[in-house]
Amino acid sequence: MALVEISDVVKTYSKGDEVIKPLDGACLEFDRGEFLSLMGASGSGKSTLLNLLAGIDRPNSGSIQVASEEITNLSRTRMATWRARHVGYIFQTHNLMPVLTAYENVELPLLLLSMSRSDRRRRVEIALDAVGLTDRADHYPRQLSGGQEQRVGIARAIVADPTLVVADEPTGNLDADTSVQILELLRQLNKQLGTTLLLVTHDEEAAEVASRQLLLDHGKLHEQNGRPPQVAKEQSA
Amino acid sequence: MIRFLPFLLKSLWRHRTRTLLTMSGAGVGLFVFCFVGSIQQGMRNLFDQKEAQQTLVVFQANKFCPATSRLPQDYAEKIKQLPGVRDAVPIQVFTNNCRASLKSAVFYGLPPEKVQSTRDFEFIDGSWPEFEENQKSAIIGRAFADRDSEYRVGNSFRLGGYDVNVVGVFESDNAAEETYIYTHLDYLQRGFSKSRVGTVTQIEVHTEPGTDVDALCATIDEELKSGTVPTQTRPKGAFQAKSLGDLTQLLSLSRYLGYACVALVVMLVATTTVMAVQDRLREHAVLKTLGFSSLRVFVLVLIESTLQSATGGAIGVLAALLMLQVLDLSVAADAIAVSFQPSWQLGIVGCGVAAGAGAIAGIFPAFKAAASEIVPALRSE
Repeated sequence: MALVEISDVVKTYSKGDEVIKPLDGACLEFDRGEFLSLMGASGSGKSTLLNLLAGIDRPNSGSIQVASEEITNLSRTRMATWRARHVGYIFQTHNLMPVLTAYENVELPLLLLSMSRSDRRRRVEIALDAVGLTDRADHYPRQLSGGQEQRVGIARAIVADPTLVVADEPTGNLDADTSVQILELLRQLNKQLGTTLLLVTHDEEAAEVASRQLLLDHGKLHEQNGRPPQVAKEQSA
Repeated sequence: MIRFLPFLLKSLWRHRTRTLLTMSGAGVGLFVFCFVGSIQQGMRNLFDQKEAQQTLVVFQANKFCPATSRLPQDYAEKIKQLPGVRDAVPIQVFTNNCRASLKSAVFYGLPPEKVQSTRDFEFIDGSWPEFEENQKSAIIGRAFADRDSEYRVGNSFRLGGYDVNVVGVFESDNAAEETYIYTHLDYLQRGFSKSRVGTVTQIEVHTEPGTDVDALCATIDEELKSGTVPTQTRPKGAFQAKSLGDLTQLLSLSRYLGYACVALVVMLVATTTVMAVQDRLREHAVLKTLGFSSLRVFVLVLIESTLQSATGGAIGVLAALLMLQVLDLSVAADAIAVSFQPSWQLGIVGCGVAAGAGAIAGIFPAFKAAASEIVPALRSE
């Protein structure tokens, strides 16, 4: 059974009198350890799909199962608990807490889990090491470069060893060289730690770092070779 | 939630100007609250303590100021004969200011042996024998002594035409007593005018335990009805309340000032917390994305507002209690003093009120933070 199964997801929202339907029967399956990229035109619903998968938004209809758990009908509180355990979120604008050091920012998701102080310390050190920022642990976000801030954001997303890490245009605010470094870091995390990753981007070069590339068009998902992603998944299996 | 405390404290420190202003507002509010609370406590002590219920004051009928009440001194002997009376003490009262004042000086002239037998004073300087030996001697309350360095044992001072030598400073359980000056009755009678000899301002009646004081008041007035001066007898508490007159009403009304201060603290803390929540809409959305539940965000905001109010309030309470302790303030009218009475109980109540006000103030902003949707908040600038 696939790690993530998205079936017939529909999402609409209103903008004034206009009803927008960014997802119209979207389907997708992928396994643990996969690295997917999702492309689409601006406003096509890429981030909407990512938010649904991260459990911070709800579809109008359809099903989203992660590790065999249907998340669309979880209560607000249970959804929060689920997010803490299963999802790592990498924002476009890192969204670090300015009052906390790099170490404390990375530690933040672990405070929600029942874990000893020493376990938290060990995990934060591993995460910071994975993104190459061990020597910046005591720095505040304002003391870090944009690329370093994004690395801290990535460390925060992976520190709890979540089932799934989603990244919403993580290189959108970075220069070309730094973008390459961040994308390479994501690739390494997928290869070396087996992190399951879904990367939303509008940059074709960035999308190519993933092993599977998806396109969202008119509310539906397509594999970049033109086949529906479920069919592609079955054939690759 | 304790593990999130460093995050909370750092968030407050990041906006330290706003935090300090909020805390200052809470501090000032609770400072005034404690001032009002201490004068209310002074009033309660004055009117409700056992002595105020079991001791009677005989005053000239239809007179309210000590300057106008003149009773024959021998009334004391007549009253002593009545059943239920343990002692009757003639007292001459003089005050340099009959109107409400923070700096009134009130002289009580009693036979010296009666001061010792009817007042529960503890000398912190000086002694009884010196007071009994010298007619111009005075013993003064600690609060009065603290008003000026001149008021020390061994010194003399002149007030309202009276020259007295300070031979003792006392403390009393009754804070109002600590603002008075006690002298010999003879000296106070003769020092003012020769015509005052043989008359006194009031007679203080000490009753036997279990005496029906209301009935005794009526009996005393009835017994003295045929005398040269009609009397009105009341329990000491009621007499003091009547003497203070409008001031009693004014001080009672001051409690609403205390309530208003607490309401202001609630408004102030609520306003700044709403602003803080508005500023950190995106930050709260990020926390929720990381897995913070709405309830946890609610509690975080609530703790933040409570912390600010409680800390600021505690500083205000502490400042008020220290100031009241040092200044020994009292307000007097018609020779009756109401002391501001700071106490650790008032301090605890003040801190509790500050924390409660902070919690109440935080409810709406906390609800707003908890209820906000994640996705729109993440898109907000």
